[in-house]
Amino acid sequence: MTPGSLTIRQFHERLASREFSALEATESLYKAIKIKDKDIKAYVYISRDAAIKTAVKVDAAIARGEKVGILAGMPIAIKDNIMVEEEPCAAASAILKNYIAAYDATAVRKLKNARAICVGKTNLDEFAMGSSTENSAFQITKNPRDKTKVPGGSSGGSAAAVAADMAVAALGSDTGGSIREPADFCKVVGLKPTYGAVSRYGLIAMASSLDQIGTITKTVEDAAILFREISGQDPHDATSGDIVYGNELMNPKLEHIREMTIGLPKEYFIKGIAPEIRERIEGVIAQLQGLKIKFKEISLPHTKHALSCYYIIMPAEASSNLARFEGIRYAPVPEAGLTEKLLERYVKNRSRGFGPEVKRRIMLGAFVLSSGYYDAYYAQAQKIRTLIARDFKEAFKEVDMMLTPVSPALPFAIGEKTDDPLTMYLSDIFTVTANLAGLPALVVPPGFQLIGKPWREADILGVGHYYERINYA
Amino acid sequence: MALVTKKLLGHLAHLSRLELSEYELKKFANDLDAILKYVKELKAVDSAEIEPMTGAANLKNIFRDDTIDFDRRALSASDGEKIIGAFPESDKGFLKVPKVL
Repeated sequence: MTPGSLTIRQFHERLASREFSALEATESLYKAIKIKDKDIKAYVYISRDAAIKTAVKVDAAIARGEKVGILAGMPIAIKDNIMVEEEPCAAASAILKNYIAAYDATAVRKLKNARAICVGKTNLDEFAMGSSTENSAFQITKNPRDKTKVPGGSSGGSAAAVAADMAVAALGSDTGGSIREPADFCKVVGLKPTYGAVSRYGLIAMASSLDQIGTITKTVEDAAILFREISGQDPHDATSGDIVYGNELMNPKLEHIREMTIGLPKEYFIKGIAPEIRERIEGVIAQLQGLKIKFKEISLPHTKHALSCYYIIMPAEASSNLARFEGIRYAPVPEAGLTEKLLERYVKNRSRGFGPEVKRRIMLGAFVLSSGYYDAYYAQAQKIRTLIARDFKEAFKEVDMMLTPVSPALPFAIGEKTDDPLTMYLSDIFTVTANLAGLPALVVPPGFQLIGKPWREADILGVGHYYERINYA
Repeated sequence: MALVTKKLLGHLAHLSRLELSEYELKKFANDLDAILKYVKELKAVDSAEIEPMTGAANLKNIFRDDTIDFDRRALSASDGEKIIGAFPESDKGFLKVPKVL
């Protein structure tokens, strides 16, 4: 038993009963990371000093007989596009190689208030652009379940850390599937909250109308615990919702779950899905039917346009958000230096600082926003987005949530899809809709997705929890 | 017929403040061409009567008085110092930039 192999609840029980101290657990975890991460390379930065300080404080509180919160001393990995004060935050990009975060993200501050331990920062695709973590400027992360395969992306480092027991839980971010796809590939639980449920303050922005910080955990119950801690309105994020999640997230009642109907959107069960995935989903449906949950086939007619819609809106927003990286506000890329002429400084820093996928998406964004193309691409995509959101709203009159596959394909080999960007983008076909419509979505091993109504994380967590109990009790 | 010619790509690179190598010009022109040909399918959707979704879902306007609440400021003075400390070039707390005009 290593501390990293425990769930949040198990870790907390053993800590509270003094089976181990927070310091012992932290030291043990770092030993495990030193050995395992040489190969897996999930972490880009280890926060040892801060972690030890927090562990010592938690142990002192327990020694004084204080009852500590469930996340006290909990080792949590943080995706490296989420800021932890005074620690490097590079979003896996050369352009931020020398940047030290000036403040904590709200989600991180909430974890620190709960006395959780931020173990370190995890690897990602550069600026969260990718579905395999191969676009990191620093290192390749391997899938702990099969080290020839990618861990998925862009939160591949976080998913790998949790799957390899190098953290009890992790924070990731999800703009088009970046928590859910790696959670699926690494066989852990991933939750993308309702847009606005978790503050984006301190998350390095990719596409502001799509981004959300979310959780990567070993169990659905852990997802509920961690999500409750990081969620809530934040005055520093004007898009955060006026919501307080309470105990409804925990201890779901089976009678309540049985009253729900799960929709099966026919547009997600298309020909191109790998046969193993199709069989897997059929198995999941059969098991949930065994719990007496009702299913209904429904239609989300504009699903086939979702990927196009996403790959127009997201690059447009990203190209705008990444305009701030120009070698003036933040440390310039060393090779570019501090040139005299303004235009030269912009061009040299950005050209040497950004990787190819980032450049592709910035230029794609420039295209769809440029004069002559704006109406046909960007304005049209915004209208399609309305239609996609409307499809869900209509369907939610008849069902409480949707069940879908997560990805059309099984985890692919490292290097397999790096030549053709479009092939990589197709990994996202089942995940982008939840971001476009702002809906919560949960991914549960062995690999299915539940998409819920706005603010109804309790519903999808409830179904996920009972599925887990059938299979992993 | 290529949607994205090398000339168009050169224009997009300039808009994005990027300089591309010969190899990148060729590769990105092909990549962007393939991507745009894929997303072009959106044009066929009849959307004449549809209101565009200009931002995220679930948004509500939040207004407050235009005053500074010193207790709820996002950043403390020392945070501000950290931000200024990250400037590559600064002068008396101001960010130094190359001449614009």
